[in-house]
Amino acid sequence: VFGFFRNLTGNKDLTRSDLEPVMAKMKDHLMGKNVAADIAEKCCESVCVSLIGKRNATFTTVRSTVTKAMEEALVRVLTPKRSFDILGDVMASKTKGRPYTIVFMGVNGVGKSTSLSKVCFWLQQNGMKVMIAACDTFRSGAVEQLRVHAKCLGVELFAQGYDKDASRVAGLAVTAGADRGVDVVLVDTAGRMQNNEPLMRSLVKLVTENNPDLILFVGEALVGNDGVDQLQEFNNSLLKYQHDKAQPRTIDGIFLTKFDTIDDKVGAALSMVYTTGQPILFVGVGQTYTDLRRLNVSSVVRALLK
Amino acid sequence: MVLADLGRSISGALRKMQSETVIDDEVVNDMLKAICTALLQSDVNIKIVQQIRNNIKTKINLSEQAAGINRRKLIQQTVFQELVNMVDPGLKPFTPKRGRPNVIMYVGLQGSGKTTTCTKYAHFYQRKGWKTCLVCADTFRAGAFDQLKQNATKAKIPFYGSYTEADPVQIAQEGVEQFKEKGYEIIIVDTSGKHKQEKALFDEMKQIERVVQPDDVIFVLDASIGQAAFDQAKAFKDAVGVGSVVITKLDGHAKGGGALSAVAATEAPICFIGTGEHFEDFEAFDAKSFVSRLLGMGDLSGLVNT
Ligand SMILES: Nc1nc2c(ncn2[C@@H]2O[C@H](COP(=O)(O)OP(=O)(O)OP(=O)(O)O)[C@@H](O)[C@H]2O)c(=O)[nH]1
Ligand SMILES: Nc1nc2c(ncn2[C@@H]2O[C@H](COP(=O)(O)OP(=O)(O)OP(=O)(O)O)[C@@H](O)[C@H]2O)c(=O)[nH]1
Ligand SMILES: [Mg+2]
Ligand SMILES: [Mg+2]
Repeated sequence: VFGFFRNLTGNKDLTRSDLEPVMAKMKDHLMGKNVAADIAEKCCESVCVSLIGKRNATFTTVRSTVTKAMEEALVRVLTPKRSFDILGDVMASKTKGRPYTIVFMGVNGVGKSTSLSKVCFWLQQNGMKVMIAACDTFRSGAVEQLRVHAKCLGVELFAQGYDKDASRVAGLAVTAGADRGVDVVLVDTAGRMQNNEPLMRSLVKLVTENNPDLILFVGEALVGNDGVDQLQEFNNSLLKYQHDKAQPRTIDGIFLTKFDTIDDKVGAALSMVYTTGQPILFVGVGQTYTDLRRLNVSSVVRALLK
Repeated sequence: MVLADLGRSISGALRKMQSETVIDDEVVNDMLKAICTALLQSDVNIKIVQQIRNNIKTKINLSEQAAGINRRKLIQQTVFQELVNMVDPGLKPFTPKRGRPNVIMYVGLQGSGKTTTCTKYAHFYQRKGWKTCLVCADTFRAGAFDQLKQNATKAKIPFYGSYTEADPVQIAQEGVEQFKEKGYEIIIVDTSGKHKQEKALFDEMKQIERVVQPDDVIFVLDASIGQAAFDQAKAFKDAVGVGSVVITKLDGHAKGGGALSAVAATEAPICFIGTGEHFEDFEAFDAKSFVSRLLGMGDLSGLVNT
């Protein structure tokens, strides 16, 4: 008989000890959905704190109270703090007579070049004239990969081959783009590990020297706890190696790729947004140009709590 | 190596237990909690972590009856054994035989590092005097053939592929046949990235396996992968005869627990690890000495009954 009433604490102020067992289960649940351990911990702790001392409605189980509070908290985290209007910004840049530039950065193999080609297609659909800049001058086949995309999409590729200074190639591409009257220059960069200092320095050099309009961090939905570290370290490097700038540029938004490969283990979306507070501007859901989506916050939250 | 972070946390937890005078339930629970947290922060599959926790608990409880057994030693041994079980399925990875063709097929998720690893593998054996070659059976990814071609050319390894033929199955068959006739000993077949959610890609992989009749199928996994690792790895194992695993990108910060969980899913041993983008960044892997090093206990193989 008592077992039946175990989780019912109607008409009583919630205490930490009421909440803790439920929070522990919630934390495990979130980690099972691929939320990074630290982020799951932080989300649970803040929901826990927000509920201590609250009166639990009669016959409401602690569990459903926690789930509801967690749902609200997750929606709050995932909902962008400010609105983004890339197309509007492109138009504004156009009136100033210079191409809008977007830099794609991230660790190896996450889908930077493919995502760049998807964004190219989307911009073209919206009437923009685009140029692709092949600034991965390191990885074998990187230039040819973009050449195939440029050809399929019918846009110009700006390339200088391999072993060139990526920042210089980007600069030349923007100048060439302005000459040709393009609206947007999409800058591909080589993948690199977030802890590889020389490579991170050269990436920041590209940012400093070219001052792009939008810095997109590309991360894959498959990533586990390392996703948090990747974002932090890319952002930290940007801050650290632009120390002489009054307003250093940091990551403006996230491109979350391979969302089609994870079923309902959507936790990386939460980990990434929580880490920098920057929004997920695009989601990649496949390997073709049309596999580009906006993040659907409510369906991500539903998948996380299911 | 970064996987060592996991080892450090676990041996830390074990050491803390050493300093306690009485090993009561509280000490055991604290230690288990610390170990499970370390495993989860390293992306080990949550179900495996729960299993490990239960296995350790059961063994420890059983020992309560058996008098005279050193509890501390038993716990240490059990933790070690559980880790070995996870990383080492008890099978030796395939090793190529001299003087006959050994066909090795590479499979894995998109961007995991297959194409790069194919060249590393070819280079590894070539340096030891084997006749190695590469076949590019990826006609899907833009620039895939150029990538393999440039890598192979740099490493001076013969390669086969096509810019015009769209059917990867045919290329795989022709390439392997041609190299067999020429007396090559290690024939490596690179395939395009795949995920379990897309059946057509898996069907293609099975067809390639059927025509090339590989002596080993190597599953390549990125060290940063999170909770999706187990299910994906299992699906690859169920589709083709995965015989070995390569973990790539261990030069980053990722602790590699997702990849270790994949070993549990495929029941295939890790044969090599990738530690960078260059051909030389490649090491043979031995599970047992790995776990010993991981726990900083020196050679403990005597402790383990296999
Ligand atoms: N399933 C799926 N695959 C994707 C997605 N985005 C990219 N890919 C695949 O991921 C692989 C790597 O993509 P790339 O665009 O080459 O990745 P990258 O980050 O540019 O790689 P590097 O330049 O080598 O660091 C390719 O096989 C892509 O087709 C996605 O949203 N879903
Ligand atoms: N840092 C680092 N990068 C690696 C390692 N192995 C591969 N890479 C990089 O990871 C990226 C993807 O590698 P690929 O070999 O193209 O991966 P793939 O599995 O063939 O990709 P798809 O064919 O598109 O599925 C490239 O930028 C490689 O240079 C490694 O061990 N360390
Ligand atoms: Mg790329
Ligand atoms: Mg490849």
